[in-house]
Amino acid sequence: MGIARWLTPLAAGADVPVFTAIGAGGRALADEAALLPGVRLVDSPRAANILLFVGAVTPPLLRPLLGIHDQLPTPRATVWWPGRAVGGGLASALPDLVVGPAGDGDHLRSVFAELLSGERRSEPPALPDQEAAEWRGVGPFGQGGTGMTGGVPYGRPLPSRAPDPDGLELDQLPLHVGPLFPPFPPGLILHIELQGDVVRQATVGDNPFAGATEDLDQDGPPLDTALFVGALTSPTPIGDLEVARARHHLRWAARTLRLHGLESEGLRLLGLARSLAPADRAAVESLAQRIARSRSLAWTTRGVGILGTDDVTGGPVARAAGLAVDARLHDPAYQGLGFSPVVHGAGDARDRLRQRLAEAVQALELAERAGSQLRRPGPPLEGPRGPLGTEDPLPSVALLGLLPRLLAGQEWGDAMTIVASLDLDLEEAAVGQPAPIPA
Amino acid sequence: MGPFGAALTVVVATGVAVVTSRWLRVTLDPVALTAPERMPFIGGGQPEVHAWSRFHVRYYAMALLFLAFDMEMVFMYPWAVVFVEEGALALMEMLMFIIILLLGILYAWREGALEWA
Repeated sequence: MGIARWLTPLAAGADVPVFTAIGAGGRALADEAALLPGVRLVDSPRAANILLFVGAVTPPLLRPLLGIHDQLPTPRATVWWPGRAVGGGLASALPDLVVGPAGDGDHLRSVFAELLSGERRSEPPALPDQEAAEWRGVGPFGQGGTGMTGGVPYGRPLPSRAPDPDGLELDQLPLHVGPLFPPFPPGLILHIELQGDVVRQATVGDNPFAGATEDLDQDGPPLDTALFVGALTSPTPIGDLEVARARHHLRWAARTLRLHGLESEGLRLLGLARSLAPADRAAVESLAQRIARSRSLAWTTRGVGILGTDDVTGGPVARAAGLAVDARLHDPAYQGLGFSPVVHGAGDARDRLRQRLAEAVQALELAERAGSQLRRPGPPLEGPRGPLGTEDPLPSVALLGLLPRLLAGQEWGDAMTIVASLDLDLEEAAVGQPAPIPA
Repeated sequence: MGPFGAALTVVVATGVAVVTSRWLRVTLDPVALTAPERMPFIGGGQPEVHAWSRFHVRYYAMALLFLAFDMEMVFMYPWAVVFVEEGALALMEMLMFIIILLLGILYAWREGALEWA
């Protein structure tokens, strides 16, 4: 152990490798974690020493979370920023769990240093050492397999075959991705049938926030669009609404840029979003232009996930497809502010990014013009994802419904681009959904 | 140091490197992995089947095209020698050969062999 003792102080000086898993109501706080100095967010638990869980645990999230916990290499520690509610069985499953002060980077660094120096013990596995199926010693070579493709080699059967568009019969790999997969919005589970890197079929799994959203908070569902939902029933300054809209779009853009490898631009957007004011318009605009000029981004997003004007009814996704619909057009509060919706025409992932960035700039402009004007409740309100306060279900419900058709036949990378480009929120989609019946 | 000494150095150095890296791995990470710890990361979900799957190698047609042009280069070496003696005639012959191959590439392009998906 001598060498380990010699190396650990050196390792403790490095940035803390943190993997974030996001539960109910934790998204905004997780965005803040990206801005902490000395903290490096990694995309896989294999590269992390600290598992940072942000938000509240709902029962369907517990098992996946413990699975990810066990996938962290040792030494490992789990830090929880609970946000709203503490509970959900996490503390009993992880006895060494650190419930941390939310948003505190120094605390994360001190946990990391203690972990490496040995003051804090590495967390033991949370799940029992149990194979998916018994395979050791089974079969002619003891690897669980029989014949060419039979049995359960190393614990799992081989995939079944399905026809390929080229007329071949090839293996189809069923994959359940999520609910804590970083490129996806928190809670999204996709059941994907993969052939090579092509998604043959994708279906949306059970929403882990279903039935739980109301329980977590007495004051209503902890949505990231809470200000807009509140504005449906109480007068709200237009300036506040528009700044919140701009902040929402910038945060979304930051997450999307991270997915596309433009992390530094994303961090600058997050930094702007943190203390956004109408006066930041010029900064946002120049950054948006810079992002729109990126050739690598254009190459990965152009022509991906095209939605026509028939597929969508409202929100930035519809306006990116060229549909000039916006609840603000019919809102008396916005008359006199000279509002006219920004539209793009291609309806692909690239236009959805440009659309939201342009809308963020426009929102800051409106906020500046509106001053302290109040918006009175009554007509439907344009939220960041689409109209609120209409007869239709919340915007995320319709957007989630688009996924299976959009993802079929896409390559893996394009599929991730499409999922990110829709700005889904599973908590919003879960509003009013009953809890699943426990099996 | 003769060739034998050099070979011995390489063998000894390799042996030391193998033993050291193995010892480092055991020293730094002595924990025996449990079944959930060995699981691949797919966002919290669990794999249902073995990941050993046969899939379409979609660069197959591209690889064949590459091979065709690779072989063409092989023909060009003896041609370069003859070219000095034969002159314009050899040039014409090689042009014809390349045009035929080029037609092949245009056909493959039309058939979508250069498309990835």
